[in-house]
Amino acid sequence: MEVGMLPISSSKRGKLLAAGYTTLDAIARVSPTHLARDIDVSDGEALEILNLATKASALERPNGTHSAVVGGGQTAWDMLNDEKFSSYITTSCVDLDNILGGGIKCTEVTEIGGVPGIGKTQIGIQLAVNVQIPREYGGLGGKAIYIDTEGSFMVERVQQVAEACIEDMAEYSHHFHKDFQTCDVKMHHNNIFENIFYFRVCSYTEQIALINYLDKFVTENKDVKIIVVDSVTFHFRQDFDDMPLRTRLLGEMALNLMKLAKRFCLAVVMLNQVTTKCIEGSFQLTLALGDSWSHSCTNRIILFWNGNERYAFIDKSPSLKAASAPYSVTTRGIRNSTSSCKRIKMM
Amino acid sequence: MTPLKSFEKDYPLIDSNFQSFCVSHGIFSVEDFLLHDLDALIAFADSHSTSQTLKQGIDQLLSIIDALHPPLLNGLQLLEDAQRNKHILSTGCEGIDALLGGGLCEGQLTELVGSSSSGKTQACLLSASTVAKHESSVIYLDTGNSFSPQRIAHFVGQSSGYVFDNQADHILRKVLDRIICYSVFDIYQMFDVLHQLKINLRSEVVKSNQHVRLLIVDSISSLITPILGGSGPQGHALMVSAGFLLKKLAHEHNIAVLVTNHVVGGEDGVSKPALGESWKSVPHVRLLLSRDCGSNVCNISMLKHPSKVRYLIRKFLYGVVYVSQYHDASGWAASSAMYL
Repeated sequence: MEVGMLPISSSKRGKLLAAGYTTLDAIARVSPTHLARDIDVSDGEALEILNLATKASALERPNGTHSAVVGGGQTAWDMLNDEKFSSYITTSCVDLDNILGGGIKCTEVTEIGGVPGIGKTQIGIQLAVNVQIPREYGGLGGKAIYIDTEGSFMVERVQQVAEACIEDMAEYSHHFHKDFQTCDVKMHHNNIFENIFYFRVCSYTEQIALINYLDKFVTENKDVKIIVVDSVTFHFRQDFDDMPLRTRLLGEMALNLMKLAKRFCLAVVMLNQVTTKCIEGSFQLTLALGDSWSHSCTNRIILFWNGNERYAFIDKSPSLKAASAPYSVTTRGIRNSTSSCKRIKMM
Repeated sequence: MTPLKSFEKDYPLIDSNFQSFCVSHGIFSVEDFLLHDLDALIAFADSHSTSQTLKQGIDQLLSIIDALHPPLLNGLQLLEDAQRNKHILSTGCEGIDALLGGGLCEGQLTELVGSSSSGKTQACLLSASTVAKHESSVIYLDTGNSFSPQRIAHFVGQSSGYVFDNQADHILRKVLDRIICYSVFDIYQMFDVLHQLKINLRSEVVKSNQHVRLLIVDSISSLITPILGGSGPQGHALMVSAGFLLKKLAHEHNIAVLVTNHVVGGEDGVSKPALGESWKSVPHVRLLLSRDCGSNVCNISMLKHPSKVRYLIRKFLYGVVYVSQYHDASGWAASSAMYL
């Protein structure tokens, strides 16, 4: 392994090479102060480089464990077994949950997009509330992080959705636990408000900084089970001339969100706007941010109008089949479509 | 990059005196020595107090370097090697296999290019399950949390027609145990895994039932996009060394490497593979996947192949129809037989 592959900045890498440190062994043998003097950086930085180099050169030596070909991986069998215990966050719309295999899945990044007014923010709010349904009621009992870039998060609306959610839980417990007297739902909607961590982001730099910080935040608040970004697009669609820079920033942000989802076993939901795209001469609606961005989510759900009904369509998923389901936005939140028409439309 | 110090034990002429002489000329490794002007070095050695031993040292080093050159192979040996070691692995999809002349070739880097939801990940998962079924290990690097063991179990169960009982469960477990998945979220993490893999493959005689045949990176472009361009050429250098490392692994250990790449819009609105011109030369085989809007039929076309004529287009039905029962016969493997 060479110096070029160490995760350090290019200026430090240049300094190392200029000072004759071409191999990791060469770096690993010197003391931090010596290295700091040689390449003209602070002691702390030199120590950091040293740690990276010794870690990398430790990898070079074959370790005694022959069980796996390379350490740190997981076999598909173990993952399959883990998946049996994976948790889902219900959308409160049974039809939508059915096509999603149970709801929004933890450890995955789901992108939801659609035209204005279709109910993206409504779904975001609903999920932020639903993630808090206690385990006794089949929920996760988690907390939510809500990143608002557009300023469309309405507290009054959260109150409506939260109250409806508590009512539903009371009804549920009434149905199934008739013999229990203590089944009164202890949750108050104030609890629900307390467990939504709201961040208002006003520029794309703030957005990136926040997502980098989330790693620390979630480490301290382990019961966060969902991160909603509403919307991921807003700041990246305006005042952005340098498109390659945008692609790079978005790519990095997407990988960071993936990492969070996997590491803390939480669901990431990114809401996106739509744009038109010219395909073979005809204009079609697709989600914004371009072709590269469309790879940065695990699942992609597109919301669209079909006549007077709202529909959700699974556009991309490694494990779910393409399907669509109607839903409706009511005062109580996202619910099954009331219309009797259950026609499935393939896009 | 072999440091000179590593020769100290075996060759007494390359002692600390010789090394310090080399270091004073900025030579730390064999590569530095090769790049240095030899005549100038000998001239300097002449003026040195211990010129005789220094010159002997230089000769010694030159002879070491001569011995280091890779062994010569003639065409016949290459052909034998190819026939003996470079097997062809079926991807499990007849349409793709027919286009590739049998499947993925060991020792080669195959790239799948396509827009989002064109079936790249599905092709990767299908190949992984097919190869794992044939008693070989598969290493799967996943960058998008899109590795779905459920989907793989489905592929395994469906194509062999097992009834889902204890026996089938046992076989399924054996197959799935041979697929090892790593979640990587930056390119340095990928380097770590690949280096570890390289060292382990080299050091131990991997048991025959653990023979790694297929390495999948899904997707390589999402690792490289964040570092490419911008501040200086470092991202570029990392991209090229990633490609080099993958090809080296493929060649030395007879592994088929499968990577996925996405597409970007070109100047005239036609989409083209991402990562630009310098990546273009890295994969041996490049396949373009696309899906007709509103249908489940995937088109696959060949952009680059070392031994085939370009632009053969095959169509295959894409098993978007996901069936949760293992014994259900529909799905990709069945439908792909009906490629148009």
